[in-house]
Amino acid sequence: MKKIIRLTVNNEEHQLAVEPNQTLLDMLRDQLGLTGAKKGCEMGECGACTVIMDGITVNSCLVLAMQANGKRITTIEGLETEQGLHPIQKAFIEKGAIQCGFCTSGMILSAKVLLDKNPKPTEEEIRSALSGNLCRCTGYQKIVEAVQSVSEDDVGPARQES
Amino acid sequence: MLLPKFDFHEPTTVAEACQIIAEYREKAGILAGGTDLLVAMKKKQISPQHLVSIGRIDELRKLDSSSGMLKIGACFTVADTAASEVIGKKWGALRAGARALGSPQIRNLATIGGNLVSASSAADLPGSLISYGARVVLTSTSKTRVVPLDQFFLGSRRTEIGYDEILTEIQIDEPPPYSGAGYISLGIRASQDIKIVNVASFITLDSSGKTIRNARIVLGCVGPTHLRAASAEKLLIGEGPSEAVFAKAAEAAIRDSAPRGARYSRASAGYKRAMVGELTRRTLGIAWKEALE
Ligand code: FES
Ligand code: FES
Repeated sequence: MKKIIRLTVNNEEHQLAVEPNQTLLDMLRDQLGLTGAKKGCEMGECGACTVIMDGITVNSCLVLAMQANGKRITTIEGLETEQGLHPIQKAFIEKGAIQCGFCTSGMILSAKVLLDKNPKPTEEEIRSALSGNLCRCTGYQKIVEAVQSVSEDDVGPARQES
Repeated sequence: MLLPKFDFHEPTTVAEACQIIAEYREKAGILAGGTDLLVAMKKKQISPQHLVSIGRIDELRKLDSSSGMLKIGACFTVADTAASEVIGKKWGALRAGARALGSPQIRNLATIGGNLVSASSAADLPGSLISYGARVVLTSTSKTRVVPLDQFFLGSRRTEIGYDEILTEIQIDEPPPYSGAGYISLGIRASQDIKIVNVASFITLDSSGKTIRNARIVLGCVGPTHLRAASAEKLLIGEGPSEAVFAKAAEAAIRDSAPRGARYSRASAGYKRAMVGELTRRTLGIAWKEALE
């Protein structure tokens, strides 16, 4: 039996009727049309479905839509602003960190949570923060370089104001 | 990959959750972090008709070290366990296990209680918890019982837990002075991996630091449940800590283990045995260093 849930996705409030066995991933993709979160393994192994839920990254294929009731979700679609793409998105393009793109949304969201907490991570911290996101194409090096370039650019709020 | 259909329950207290599972018994499944349960349901290995989510029960998310004993709510996440300063300071081997588990995303969802109830000998939290002498609290509508963790696991995917019970809390006594513990799990990759062998070692020295008073060594992935390396423990007690003694204990731990071969497992029995020895030696070294601090 469907139940009504309320949640905030990319700063927009939604009220949706969901089935108990519907995952957050399916809800985002099928009901909200947010296809940035990808369906890879659906078993919690690849990280392609990564979204940010109340400030932490989760595999949305392993979260029931009903468990997301009342939560704040950020998907890759929520990163762009009027000023354009998010600095991490730009860095991925500039550094050639995207090939097929299937892992990219998850990678960028994992990187965002890392950089929000730790604006100057070491290479090891970057690799460990991205260790739940698999990439079949890039060999990871360019992804790590892209994240490093953002941390070097100093895009923290203090700089933006000055 | 579709989840089988089920009715969803989301109680906000333990009492309410116990009532629901008392009513549905074997038809009910308990959902904590979901990282094991939902995968098993997607693979159609299990399909509970009623899913009881305990993730919104506040009393199950607490960490309390005020009584000289550490009490961890069953829904305390693995990420919070890995990040907790209290745990890192006094129960470092537990933190090492939490850090070794899954990936960042999995650790954010997975819970300490779930890692125990899943009852896998490859799991990363039972080893250190058993080595610390942890207990679990099982709660039902009619009673609450406390079970030592090393009597909790009955086999692969089988535990002491009854249909009407919920694992609500993990209790660990503060280690006595001059104690230390180490945990290492070996996988093929650093992240998102099912482990090949894991070992936890705990020792307590006397006040001079010259004699081992107590030792507990727990081996994972070499039997249906985590195993105590009983003869290795016996060998250590009364001895002085040294690399040579640890090497002997490692030999004994190899004899205590009973790994199955590569046909059933991620590595050959010979390799596993060798790694049991090596990890026993290394974790004893970590425990010794910590005991002297
Ligand atoms: S699709 Fe969710 S982890 Fe792979
Ligand atoms: S760019 Fe293709 S999977 Fe990462």
